[in-house]
This record gives sequence, structure tokens and C-alpha cells, in this order.
Amino acid sequence: MTCEEARALLLDARRGRLSAGMQAALDAHLAGCAACAHENAADALLGEALEGRLPQHAAPLALKRRLAASWSAGDALPSPPPVARPTAPSSARAAWGARWRRAVVPALAAAVLVLALVPLYYRQAGDGGAGMVTEAVNDHLRLLTAQHPLDIESGGIHQVKPWFEGRLDFAPVVRFEGDADFPLRGGAIGYYLDRKAAVFVFNRRLHVVTLLVFPAQGLPWPRRGLERIGPVEAQVTASRGFNTILWREGDLGYALVSDVDRTDLLALLGKLAASS
Amino acid sequence: MESERADAAALGREALAYADTLYNLARYLTRSPTDAEDLVQETYARALSAAHQFTPGTNLKAWLFRILRNTFLSHHRHERHNPTVGGLDTVVAVAPSPESARWLRGDVELDRLRKVVGEEIERALESLSEEARTVILLDLEGLTEVEVAQVVGCAVGTVKSRLARARAALREKLRDYAP
Repeated sequence: MTCEEARALLLDARRGRLSAGMQAALDAHLAGCAACAHENAADALLGEALEGRLPQHAAPLALKRRLAASWSAGDALPSPPPVARPTAPSSARAAWGARWRRAVVPALAAAVLVLALVPLYYRQAGDGGAGMVTEAVNDHLRLLTAQHPLDIESGGIHQVKPWFEGRLDFAPVVRFEGDADFPLRGGAIGYYLDRKAAVFVFNRRLHVVTLLVFPAQGLPWPRRGLERIGPVEAQVTASRGFNTILWREGDLGYALVSDVDRTDLLALLGKLAASS
Repeated sequence: MESERADAAALGREALAYADTLYNLARYLTRSPTDAEDLVQETYARALSAAHQFTPGTNLKAWLFRILRNTFLSHHRHERHNPTVGGLDTVVAVAPSPESARWLRGDVELDRLRKVVGEEIERALESLSEEARTVILLDLEGLTEVEVAQVVGCAVGTVKSRLARARAALREKLRDYAP
């Protein structure tokens, strides 16, 4: 096997796509060729970097709502102006305007329907909490990229919790005040799927940990793969480079998301659950 | 008629599950949050109007990717003809410069790849040509080479070579971020 042939097979080999014979021939080549072995190691590290560290951009919730509305109406919302296109011809603008007018009525109807469709979509796509984990990670990413992520800077839990009064139609139950390991940075109002959520932001060293608290009813909570952690049963998952813990207590649901180690996140869950 | 609407609604619910994935690809293709939103919205509008052309049982995600990429290209033809990195099919692998070759061969590259952070990978990826970004991202999404070939409209063998060259180009770009 030549170096050129070997290098063409490296990615397939790491993905287990080679026959046993081909794999053996490649292994033999790599054992005797330092340059190809280096190439294999470097490409494997590149793969790890891409899969584990390349930022994943989640679609804004407003965009998702518009998309759901367009499909539920059975007609497209007006297509946005062409992406970075130079000035459109006037006929195209006229056609665009006509499409916009045609879409107004279905879009208004969609605005009513979307409130029902979005949760329905998430219930159907839920498959054991996967949709809930995705949303929790997306909310965490939105918070990380927001210019002003906190509505209330922390002066302690007794300052943050009262701030939510009158801003939510439920009382978020969080008694953990933060400590030296997990200082409470502050809070904000957010959205989790189709409902408002109280967002608490903790730090773990330089990492941000987001705690979402929201009404639990009507969501596709996972029933399998639950772990007993202190007084709660929780689902602990890793998704897109983030660890996520979902659990419910009474009428409230909780989602804890961060890129900190699983053990760190479990330690915070222990403090939150022990305080409730 | 009613069953067609029901089918379209079911397809819509399924398609909506890929909004994050499509937006992520759109972000890396357009390099702009606003343009990415417009691109995804136009993609869904086109998918809705072409819903009857979708064959049930085939890969919906790949079908949406193809619409998104074609929509993007229809607005960015110029980029296709002026890629940042040369056309991946036509450029014969150029021997790296002696300095580059030393760097790529050395452990310093492996150390660098172990330490590279997300922002650096993002910048390096965004500096590649549309073709290179597309095959890398579609591969990351778990599409098979056959599915990638359908999305980008080329032969399966071409996908393999494009992907290899794109990954090599990305490694070369990451060299620029070496301390």
C-alpha cells in the first residue's frame, strides 16, 4: 500500500468502514510509516476538535415560531429578501409584495395556530426528552451569546427571587443561595419551549451554568434512563458538548446546562436538591 | 386534497425538527446571523412549495440541506467562482512549503490541535471556500458520502476527495492560529 492509498483510507478506517483485510493492510502501513501515522493522528485530532469544540449555532426561537407558523398556515410566509442580493428588479419587488399580501391572512391565522403547533412538535419530536435537552442547550447558548444576559445582577438569592414576582405566572422554587464553588450571578426571564422560564445563572470557576425553572406540565418528560440523585430522579445527558440535567419537583421542571464536567454539574444539582 | 394537506403538515412538523441544524449550516455558509435567518426561512418556504416532490422514506434532512445550499448558491454565485480556497475538485494537491511541511509533520501540530479552541476552529472554517465548508459540515452532521453527493450534486468519489482536501485545508488554516 502506498502512502497516497493509505491516506485516502484514514477517515474511512476511523469510522469503521473498511473491510477486515483492508484495515489490516492499512494498519501494517501505518506501523511502518511515521508520516502517515502522523497524518492519521492529526486528522483524528481535527475530527475531535470539530465534533467537540466547533460552536453550534441554534436557531433563534422567533425564527422557529415563524417557520412553524408558515407551515401550519399551509402557505409560506413571504420569503425574506434574497440573502445579500443586490437591488432587486422592480417586478421582483412587486411580486414579493403580492406574495406578502397573500400571506397576511394565513400568517394571522398561523399566529393563533402556532401556540398549539410548537408544543405539539416538541411532544412528537420529544423521544424521551431529546427535544427538551435540545431546547435547554439552545437556551443556554442564547444566554451565552446575549449582550445583556442578566435582567437582575445577583446580590444573593433573596434579591434575585423576589425580582421574579409579577414577571412570571408561577413561583420558581430555588433555595440554594450560591456559594464559593457555585456563586449565583443573577437571573433573567427566558422562554423554555412554549412557556416562560425563570433563568438563574451560576458560575463554576470561569464557566457559566444555566438553571431553567418552568412549569412542568404538558412536556414530554423522559421516562427512561433516569438516575436517582439525592431526592430527585434526573436524566443526565451530554449533547453538543454540553452536559444537561433534567428533573422535576412537584409542578416545576428544572434544566441545568453547562459545559462543566458532569461531576461538577451533579454537585450543583446536589446542592439545589438538598436545599429544596 | 385533505390528505395532501395532512401529509404536508406532517412533513412540516418533521422538517421543523431540523431548524437548528439548518440554521447552523446557514450560519457557517453566510457567516451572518441575519443572513442565516433569511436563508433558513427561504429554505423552508421553498421546501413547503416543493413538499409534494419529497419522497417519503428518503432522508428529509439531506433534502432540506440540498434546498438550503441551492438557495444559498443562487444568491452567492460569485463566491463559487472566487473561492477563498481553490476549487476542491480541480486543484491538484499542492506540495506544502518546506516550512509548512515541517510544521505539519511535527508534534507541534498535534499539540496545537489538542489545544485549539472553538473560536479558532470557527474562524478557520469560515475562511474556507463554500465547497470546503459545506462538505465538512455535512460530514459532521453524519450524512453519508452518498447523501453528501446528493446535496452538493456530485459523484460519491468526488465527495471523498473534496472532504479530504477540505480537512487538509482546515488543518493548514489552523496553523495560522499557532502561538
